[in-house]
This record gives sequence, C-alpha cells and structure tokens, in this order.
Amino acid sequence: MTQFYTRMGDGKRVTMAKKEIMCDIEDGIADAVDMGGVPALSQNEIDMLFEIISNKNRIVGVEPGNEVVLSYDIGQLDFTGDNGNSGNGVDVGRLESALLHERALGADTFELAHADYSIKPVKPVIANEMQTMEEIQNEIVAPFFYGAMPNGGLYYAPDGPYGNPADLMREFKIEEAMTAAELTANHLAKDIEYVATRMVTAGADGFNFDTTASAGDADFVGTLKGVAALRRECPNTYIMVGMAGESVMGIHGSIEYEGKIVAGTYPHQQVVFAQKAGANVFGPVVNTNTSKSLAWNLARSVTFVKECVKVAKIPCHVNMGMGVGGIPMCETAPLDAVTRCNKAMVEIAKVDGI
Amino acid sequence: MTDNKKALFDAMVAYKVPGIQAAVDKARKDGLSASQIIDAMGEGMTEVGVMFERGKLFLPHVLSAAQGMKNAMDVLGPELQASGDASTKRASVVMGTVEGDVHDIGKSICSTMLQCAGFDVHDLGRDVAKAEFIKEIKDGCTMCGMSALMTTTMTVQKDVIELLKQEGLRDKVIVMIGGAPVTQAYAEKIGADIYGETASETTRKAKTISE
Repeated sequence: MTQFYTRMGDGKRVTMAKKEIMCDIEDGIADAVDMGGVPALSQNEIDMLFEIISNKNRIVGVEPGNEVVLSYDIGQLDFTGDNGNSGNGVDVGRLESALLHERALGADTFELAHADYSIKPVKPVIANEMQTMEEIQNEIVAPFFYGAMPNGGLYYAPDGPYGNPADLMREFKIEEAMTAAELTANHLAKDIEYVATRMVTAGADGFNFDTTASAGDADFVGTLKGVAALRRECPNTYIMVGMAGESVMGIHGSIEYEGKIVAGTYPHQQVVFAQKAGANVFGPVVNTNTSKSLAWNLARSVTFVKECVKVAKIPCHVNMGMGVGGIPMCETAPLDAVTRCNKAMVEIAKVDGI
Repeated sequence: MTDNKKALFDAMVAYKVPGIQAAVDKARKDGLSASQIIDAMGEGMTEVGVMFERGKLFLPHVLSAAQGMKNAMDVLGPELQASGDASTKRASVVMGTVEGDVHDIGKSICSTMLQCAGFDVHDLGRDVAKAEFIKEIKDGCTMCGMSALMTTTMTVQKDVIELLKQEGLRDKVIVMIGGAPVTQAYAEKIGADIYGETASETTRKAKTISE
C-alpha cells in the first residue's frame, strides 16, 4: 500500500496510507462541525485537501496569479526577539528591520512594535513610539502599521489594578471576578483609544491588534470597544483584528458586545463582532492539536476558516504559524507542512491573505 | 434516575447556587441518603465539565456549580462521616507556571478544574522557582502540575523532574505538564506522567490516575 510522507501536530515525521489520511480528514472536519456548528467541506474539497497533503513534492504552492497578501504581526521582534518570543535573536534597529522586511523579504505590509508588544506598556513611552513611527514612515513605502497585543492579562493582579479572576473564582468570589473582568474591558478600551489614535496621528497607516482575546471574553470586548473608538476618531485608518485562539475563553462568561455574549464564539462568529466594531481585516485562528495528524488539523482548520471567510464582509487574513492553522506546534515549523497548510487555506478556504 | 436524582443533576447543570441548594433540601426531605445525593451531584458536575470542554459553559458557571456542591458538602459531609460512608479526598496537587514564564491563564484554568474535581490544589502562581515545587512535594503534595508557554521555559519542567530524582522524590509524585509548546512526545521524553492538551484533559487524566 502506498505510504505518504506527512506530519503529526507536534511536527513528528510519519507516513500514512491514503485510507488513514482520508479518515483523519473526515474526523477533523467532523470535529469542526461538532464544536463550531459550521458546515462540512464538500467531497470535492476533501479530495483537493488529500491531493495537497499527499503531494510528493516537499514544498507546494499556489498557481501564479492566485497569490494572496501577506500581513505581519510582532513587527521587528521576529528579528530581535529571543527564541521564546518567536524571534531570531538578531540585534537590528527598528528602521533597519522594517526596511529589511520591505526590501529584502518582500513583505506587503509591516508594523512597528514595542518590545513587550502589548498596549499597556506603550502608554508611558508613547512619545518615543510616535517619533519612531514618523521617522520610519519617511523611509518606508509599504503600508506601515503599529502593532500590539491588547493583552488584558496585564490589567489583572499582580500586573494590574484589578483582582485576578482566576484567583477570585477559586475562592468562589464569582461576582468579584466578573466585576474585575468588566473593569478590565473598559480600562483596556480606553488604553487602546489613547495609544492607537496617537500612533495614527504620528503617521501609522493602520493598527494591528494581535492575539485579541488572549485573556478571554473581557479582553475581546475591551478590544472591540477600543476598535470602535479608534474607528470613530480615525475614520480612514486601517484596522486589523487578529485572534489569539479559535474560541473565546469565557473568563467572565456573560460579558456582551452590542447585546451579544462573546464567550465561546468561533471564527465565523468572531468576525461579525470585529466588522461591527470597525475592523478592515480579521485574522481567524484555529489551534493545532499536537496529538493529531496534519491531515486532521488542516481539515479542521480549513473547515472553520472557510465558513469565517464566507460569513465575513471584510477580508480575512488567516493566522498561519507555529501551532495554528493546521501547522505543527514546533519552534521551526516544517516547510512541507507550512506550504501545504497555506495552499489549502488559499485554495479551499479562500482566504484573502495570510 | 429518580425524580430527585434528576432534579439534583439538572440543578448542577443549571449551575445556580440557590437552585442547587433547593434540590439538595428537597432530596434530603424526601429521604435520599447523603451518598445518593452526592453521587447525583457528582454526575451533574461531570456533565458541567463536559459542557465546559465543549464551550457551552464557562469558568464562572463551573465555579458556581462547584460552589453549590461545596455548600451541599458542608452539610452532607458530616452525615457521610457519621454513616461511615465517607470517601477519601483526592490528592493534593502543587500547580505553577515554571520559573522564567509569566503566562498563567491556562494553568489557572487547570487549577480551577482540578479544584472542582475535588483535588486539594496548591497554586503557586507563575514564575515559580524549582525549589518551591520541591518544597510543596516534601510538605505532602503527591501530584505536581507545571505549565510553560514558551520553548525557552518548557525545559524547566525537565529540570524539576531531575531535581525530584535527585531528592529521591520522583516515585512519590505524579508529574503533569502542559502549555502551548508542550506535547505528548515531550512529556514522554522528559519522563512526565501526564500530558494535558487542555485543562479538561489534564483533569480527566489526573482523576483516572489518582483513582
């Protein structure tokens, strides 16, 4: 029986027979259908997925003319950060890094980022960030944004002024925990408005909110409120909202945006909130299960993202990297898996960008 | 399932403390034994865990159900003791995000789920020194849960396991590891007993191994 070279979700090399791959594709789709209530892929799409996964070439790609836009997160930190921060430990300046991305790596867009890559620590150095933005804008041609994680976790103890819901809930102080989450959402929204409007004033072409909802549903609501405020203040700015995970964690459980509970929502539901708040681009995320195969993870991811793209009225730039979008969870993601996942997202899920 | 047992199950799934209290009061009034009531509530709590895993209920709801169960146990526990039907409490677990790492949301959810499952949880928070884990184990914890979100800090999980070996404690403790970059293969490589992809999976495995 012919064996196909493929991967597990932790990056391990394995070989699988066609029957095993097809079985995993169907199981992955079924899991997305079950968890997110999204439609299954068609038989034609399943066959396309198998063709992509079982391709004999190490690297696969899309046909010329079908390339999609690449947007980036984490700014210069992919050069300067250490390995634990998704970076390469190469010490270059922020201007040099931006120009390298534009002129050497062919980035379609790029962004400036604070070393902590969170909204809150930018506040005390906002003037420095504005000045750097202005300086780089004088050199760069590609759209150049400011990027940061909303990172609602920084507003809870021990880093912030509000009680930590996880600690409060373990003491059964559930009301207090929910109040802390609500206060965090409002505080985060104000900080986003403060930071983002100033960076746009300094010349940023837009703002990228990365790993939105990493601290749960209040983080998501705070970001959406911040996005709405930024849209009011800067009607023409370009706003990208990228998620942290496939489902919004219910740390509060019932906090709402525009009258709807956000906890437990999946990409095709999250995008509706993002576009309502005023985002121009949405970045869906689907998590990789390290114990399952590439076929299972990719089929599941494509099923979720396809429905998100279908529902969206704004472009979707799917998050593709270590541990998301079907790509294995390992520090240097294997190119065979990365290219297969990207091809499937473009050709089957029909994403607008990556 | 009798009406009373179903009412207890439903009240747990509905997760409202007054509703759970009312169902317990009625069951007691109708003559159900403490162990029967606890069993029915336990089944309800298991369903709450399943709904949490499926994203239908969230952390505050799980905790609310757990609070209802705790309130009931305050009353039923002594009755259970008196009837000689008391079951043993689950193990004591030390939990923490390893040193050098401040990402603690996943670990905190896991701690909460373990607490709801009846474990005695000693959550040391984040950036926890290796020696702190060892100290808690020397003080009586028989399970050790370590979380790491970064590839640069996941190696500390291995360091703690090595320290446990050096201290002659490894055979006395069940080691659980988790966190985004951690995998089953890594758990096997460093000699951990449990790898949890999610908080629910960790709790389920911890319950199985401690039974």
